[in-house]
Amino acid sequence: MDKPLKNADLKPIWAAITKALKADVSGDTYNRWFKDIALVELDATQLTLRVPNNIYQLWIETNYISLLRAAVLLVLQDMREIRFVLADAAEHVPDEPAAPLPPKSLEVVPETAEPPANGMNPRNTFDAFVVGTNNQFAQAACKAVADSPAKTYNPLFIYGGVGLGKTHLLHAIGYAIAAKKKSKVVYITSETFTNEFIDAIQNNSLVKFRKRYRQADVLLIDDIQFLADKGRTQEEFFHTFNTLFDGHKQIVLSSDRPPAEIANLETRLVSRFEWGLTAELQAPDIETRTAILRKKAQGMGIKVSPETIVFLAERIRSNVRRLEGALMRVGSYVSLNEGRAPTPERIEHLLRDILHEEARRAITIDQIQRRVAEHFDVRLADMTSKRRPANIAFPRQIAMYLARELTKTSLSEIGDAFGGRDHGTVLHAHRLVKDRMQKDDKTRSVVSFLDNQLTR
Amino acid sequence: MKFSVSKEKFLAGLQTVQNVVSTRTTLPILSNVLLRAEDGKVRLTTTDLDVGVSGGIDAQIEKPGATTLPARRLANIVRELPAAEVEIEIDSKNVASIRCGQSFFKILGLPEEEFPPLPKFEDAKTFTLNQQALRDALKKTSYAISTDETRYVLNGILFSFKENKLTMVATDGRRLALVDLEVEFPRSQEVEIIVPTKCVTELGRLLGDEGDVKMSVGENQVAFEIGGTLLVSKLIEGNYPNYRQVIPGEAKERITLEREMFLNAVHRVSLLSSEKSNSVKLVFSKNNIEIAANTPDVGEARESLAVAYKGRDFSIAFNPEFLQAPLRALPNDEVFLDLIDEMSPGVIKIQSPFLYVLMPMRIS
Repeated sequence: MDKPLKNADLKPIWAAITKALKADVSGDTYNRWFKDIALVELDATQLTLRVPNNIYQLWIETNYISLLRAAVLLVLQDMREIRFVLADAAEHVPDEPAAPLPPKSLEVVPETAEPPANGMNPRNTFDAFVVGTNNQFAQAACKAVADSPAKTYNPLFIYGGVGLGKTHLLHAIGYAIAAKKKSKVVYITSETFTNEFIDAIQNNSLVKFRKRYRQADVLLIDDIQFLADKGRTQEEFFHTFNTLFDGHKQIVLSSDRPPAEIANLETRLVSRFEWGLTAELQAPDIETRTAILRKKAQGMGIKVSPETIVFLAERIRSNVRRLEGALMRVGSYVSLNEGRAPTPERIEHLLRDILHEEARRAITIDQIQRRVAEHFDVRLADMTSKRRPANIAFPRQIAMYLARELTKTSLSEIGDAFGGRDHGTVLHAHRLVKDRMQKDDKTRSVVSFLDNQLTR
Repeated sequence: MKFSVSKEKFLAGLQTVQNVVSTRTTLPILSNVLLRAEDGKVRLTTTDLDVGVSGGIDAQIEKPGATTLPARRLANIVRELPAAEVEIEIDSKNVASIRCGQSFFKILGLPEEEFPPLPKFEDAKTFTLNQQALRDALKKTSYAISTDETRYVLNGILFSFKENKLTMVATDGRRLALVDLEVEFPRSQEVEIIVPTKCVTELGRLLGDEGDVKMSVGENQVAFEIGGTLLVSKLIEGNYPNYRQVIPGEAKERITLEREMFLNAVHRVSLLSSEKSNSVKLVFSKNNIEIAANTPDVGEARESLAVAYKGRDFSIAFNPEFLQAPLRALPNDEVFLDLIDEMSPGVIKIQSPFLYVLMPMRIS
């Protein structure tokens, strides 16, 4: 992160932004909502405004955010994420080191540093988390939990595939809470929990074990799916869970699948996990992937061309960790070759194993047709037939939409695969489904469900 | 436990409490209704751990006791029974035998010990409110509650007891509804709470036209006593935004509107507001409002209303749904629309202490 600018430098910037704003809002609106705001921090990605209280944030976010963004763009010639801090909370923000932060690990750790004792990676903060439509809900839920633990969503259950940011969010909650108050935050993976439980039984130190977990103010448990099949551990965890929940302590769990789908997990645990809020992390879309790559490249100090970023974002769609790995490889290639940008062929060669792995997951139109036909309970032959009643036509359109989104086939090839239709029909289907997805929640959930199933 | 009760009374009692039972609950006991028979009454209680309702019905008790039975199933059975005396007997294994005329049902229950008790209220602040006034105030505000779960403090109505006034507020960031009620209470009782949506909905259902309701505000929870029925709920924790900041200053124009006529006109015109832009435009000229909407590629709609208006010509656009909501909820024949200019919020007022602030949409 760039060094934040000093207050004195920020005043003229804010003055310029407000000047641009004044042209767009009425005088009363300006005096009411913008006069008492101060710009307190500005770096390469974010712009932080201090507002007197939460009504300012609410009203500006719902009514004036696009005007504010436009004004920021006009003045800075670049987009910034706009954040708000409340005046009472803001006093601690500018002078971070002086704030009462418990672990020193919150500062950027030197490369050689050992992982902090609590097992959380200090780089995993909310600021470092790239928000897209795929993870917005989960991120918002985690933030709400971090802002007021045990008051909003308890327990919070986040799930999603490998490398989509579950652990990142868990760590971010942990650090955010630890930074704010003197709360005892305990972070463990369910595997560690199991191992410690077994040790405790062996060494007759169950009391100590229980104390450690049952006196936590915030318990963050990663990869809870590993509790499957471990009956005794599940029972122990069940009691830990109840003790904490009854004591109004925050519990956050993560897993690679929804609670009900974890095999061999006791139903009483499943029901407890579903008690609070369940939020899903989905694979990022292309825009989010690009944003992630940019942020990571900046964070790691890697210089890569925009074309390379687009290439990586297009080719690697399944998970963020793999995306980072590819970026790292390209980055080290660039630094070894004295900053010369690699050609696409070179990158392809560099990343051949990763790309091969991605390609293995390539989906055929045939698979899409089968899956869609199965889901809507129509015959596979209907996918290619000329019949057009709505109960067949719409599934067919969804299948065409998915074929266009998930495969690299051309429009006319897709048309051929659907019984010799022409490219215009496919284009129409694609637009229609996209349109419906925007307007109709049901369509959106069906399509994203099928998408998930196919890309799993 | 054994008791008998008339079908009508039993059904009415069940219908009072069954709404709280959620359809998809993870704890089986929460889909059950607790029945406790003693002293000539059967008390029915349901809860989803956030909200709980409890009501009593008069019955002939032959043997006192308590059990829990699946609420929806029981209500479905009782609804279909012939209009006669219903006799219910529970054995030691919580199996209920229901007899009515020639019908016989047997349903399996769960022991009452598993049923979570409703919270106790100690050191609560109590207020007495008029049922009709409260119901009226809920109706005037509840449509503006936010459904955005990421802004959880807005998922309910603010009850602010201050200076012998109860102010109720709901907002979602684009509009805000506010009602003031006169209530007498000592200074020491001043308090601000946020009552969650589910409790608001239940309360609206339970309140009648006559009599009082006793409201008790405890630590983190609230109770409403309406006749013999008790509604308890957790409160939303957090600070409600300072809503006063939203209320605009003095209006430049005040237009008196015939509520129903205006509502119907907006409704008709909104049929042609597109989902994307979703706005209707109000164009003011001398003694006339033209309400207009259009959707590219679809068509447009216009309707004129004669009103007393002497101000300058100007136009302002609103979300049609947000404009109609308060008009539907208000009982008055006349409402006032206060406006400043096309960029400032509009305010709907009536003769009594109510106001509705609505943010305009940009006209491009």
